Amino acid sequence: MSEWLQHAIAHADSIQDGFADQRATSLALLTDTKWPSRKTEAWKYTPLRAVERSSAVFKEESPELTPVDVEGLDFLELTFVDGQLVSMPEDLPEGLTIEMQESDLFTTIKPARHIFGLVNDVLAADVAVVTVAENVKIDSVLRINNLLSNGAQGHIRVVVELEAGAALKVVENAEAHGATLTTAYTEFLIGAGAHLEHYRFALQSGDNVALGGSHFKLLGKATLNSSIIGFGSDLQRIDTDIIYAGEKAEAKLNAIYLLDGTELFDLHANVEHAVPNCTTEENIRGIAGDRSRAVFNGRIHIHRDAQKTLAELNNRNLLLSDKAEINTKPELEIYADDVRCAHGATIAEIDKKALYYLQTRGVSRSQAQLMLSFGFINELIDQMPTAELAEWVRPIIRDRFAQMEVK
Amino acid sequence: MSNENVLLSIKDLHASVEEKNILKGLNLDIKPGEVHAIMGPNGAGKSTTGYVLSGRDGYEVDSGSATLDGQDLFDMDVEERARAGLFLAFQYPVEIPGVSNLEFLKVSVDSQREARGEEALTSAEFLKLAKEACKQVNLPVSFLKRGVNEGFSGGEKKRNEIMQMILLKPKLCILDETDSGLDIDAMQVVANGVNSQRDSERSFIVVTHYQRLLDYIKPDFVHVLADGKIVKSGDASLAKELEAQGYAWLQTEPTEDEIED
Ligand SMILES: Nc1ncnc2c1ncn2[C@@H]1O[C@H](COP(=O)(O)OP(=O)(O)O)[C@@H](O)[C@H]1O
Ligand SMILES: [Mg+2]
Repeated sequence: MSEWLQHAIAHADSIQDGFADQRATSLALLTDTKWPSRKTEAWKYTPLRAVERSSAVFKEESPELTPVDVEGLDFLELTFVDGQLVSMPEDLPEGLTIEMQESDLFTTIKPARHIFGLVNDVLAADVAVVTVAENVKIDSVLRINNLLSNGAQGHIRVVVELEAGAALKVVENAEAHGATLTTAYTEFLIGAGAHLEHYRFALQSGDNVALGGSHFKLLGKATLNSSIIGFGSDLQRIDTDIIYAGEKAEAKLNAIYLLDGTELFDLHANVEHAVPNCTTEENIRGIAGDRSRAVFNGRIHIHRDAQKTLAELNNRNLLLSDKAEINTKPELEIYADDVRCAHGATIAEIDKKALYYLQTRGVSRSQAQLMLSFGFINELIDQMPTAELAEWVRPIIRDRFAQMEVK
Repeated sequence: MSNENVLLSIKDLHASVEEKNILKGLNLDIKPGEVHAIMGPNGAGKSTTGYVLSGRDGYEVDSGSATLDGQDLFDMDVEERARAGLFLAFQYPVEIPGVSNLEFLKVSVDSQREARGEEALTSAEFLKLAKEACKQVNLPVSFLKRGVNEGFSGGEKKRNEIMQMILLKPKLCILDETDSGLDIDAMQVVANGVNSQRDSERSFIVVTHYQRLLDYIKPDFVHVLADGKIVKSGDASLAKELEAQGYAWLQTEPTEDEIED
């Protein structure tokens, strides 16, 4: 066990709540798990030095922090500062409840193989349980804010259940003010015919360490539309699991990462087609500049019984410098015979015809190249279903992109 | 400048694509304000002419010259030619998802204004112009928000080309089969767009297979391009003749590899 981990879990004793049994189980698992090294497949390209070196601490007192404004949206805010829940929405719409109590779902959707997920099981003190009642469709967007003050360590956990026919929009938003360390995990049960629109914004660049995951279980005819947008940092790792537990469910996952400097961003997306007739579409696009490193692992596991599965995984990457690195690995494991499954991972090149077309309108070659590179990720921003979120994040990404140098 | 009163001057132009000679001694002079129609069989080199003049990669000039307003076109980058006033409306406009049409148009106009030493337009000023141009070519304003040509129908793409021409105000417009695949209404929209831009300064090369477009856009000259050079020139009545007779009278013996094409 690493020194960091030993230190961190010592803190677990102070947590007293209804999740004690599950925490004890996770702690036992964690104690038995080998600390990842370069030989650990899931961490091959992502060294944990930044975790071990982190001096972020559990703070007794935290400053007041408020999340960023998004024009045109009035969120239902669930705000954590340094791992403590500091605010809940005051007036909840009918059919939406948020409670801090036991939940049978806690630790049942997130697979136990995620080592920092286990850390989070043990250390997330204020587990929030969100429920949308049957057939209730919530218009407002629920935003889960994970805010960290300089020097702080924080661990947050939210469990969300959409009952049959329900609909909800959830934004996971992380903001780090300085050198911080966090684990942030969410578990979603999307009931029969329910619809979840999900966003995970991991735009905290700089010297912080962020480990987390969004894990989804879909029952029959459930639908998921998820967008993950990340910048790199000292270490940024997101694991996502999409698990089909009922037929005719559909999930779409779009992810964008944009890295500069010496940043690291690692996305592991795992899809379990355990039942027939489900559909997955994944579009993953990244741009890496300078000496940054992106890691993408996209696993699609089509179980023996999962006939008539449609699964598509597309990963395209653009390298802006020859010192930047992208490690991409699609992993298809197909045990059913009647499925359609396509995948592709490419280092993208600028479309020459498009470049010429722009130049014939008077746009300089270099500006045309920038427009097309940005367009490459902007295409996925265009697909975000809530326009206010797209309009909010677009200029943030554009600015970051504009600062990146082509070398 | 060799000839004071010539906007575009192409002299004995030979050009090739992938080692294959396509243009084989093309000559053409266009004066300000003139409209020249170019007709001719498929594969004659009509599109190639537009690509060579605009500077597309892979289109090699083997010999000959082309000047726009006395400036050597082949000495300029693609974008410089555009800024010098050359505009090509593509036979097959390119789709660019992720780049909005509005941004594309604004950056294009800004680049050209900047090159002329003019100030950039504010977003509001430009939006107003763009909306007017949309109306003029009968495209819903919502098309400004979409990706460049993304998911546009054939006719919408062609109208988008004309909209760009209206906004960029070039000196020489080459319209490459802008009427192909358009129904009569759409063709009229295109023709009206072109006619609205005609004046004593601006010149046009209209590449088309159909006489009907030339009923709306009256050409000063009609040329027949065949096997890489102009084989016949005349006034508007030549287009009518061609429509009636086709190109059989050309009587060029096809070479082996042209038969393969
Ligand atoms: N990119 C290319 N590669 C190879 N051959 C080409 C290419 N573009 C054009 N050609 C050839 O050049 C000739 C002229 O083509 P084009 O200029 O498109 O004719 P037109 O527009 O008159 O129908 C044709 O034989 C065509 O096959
Ligand atoms: Mg052609």
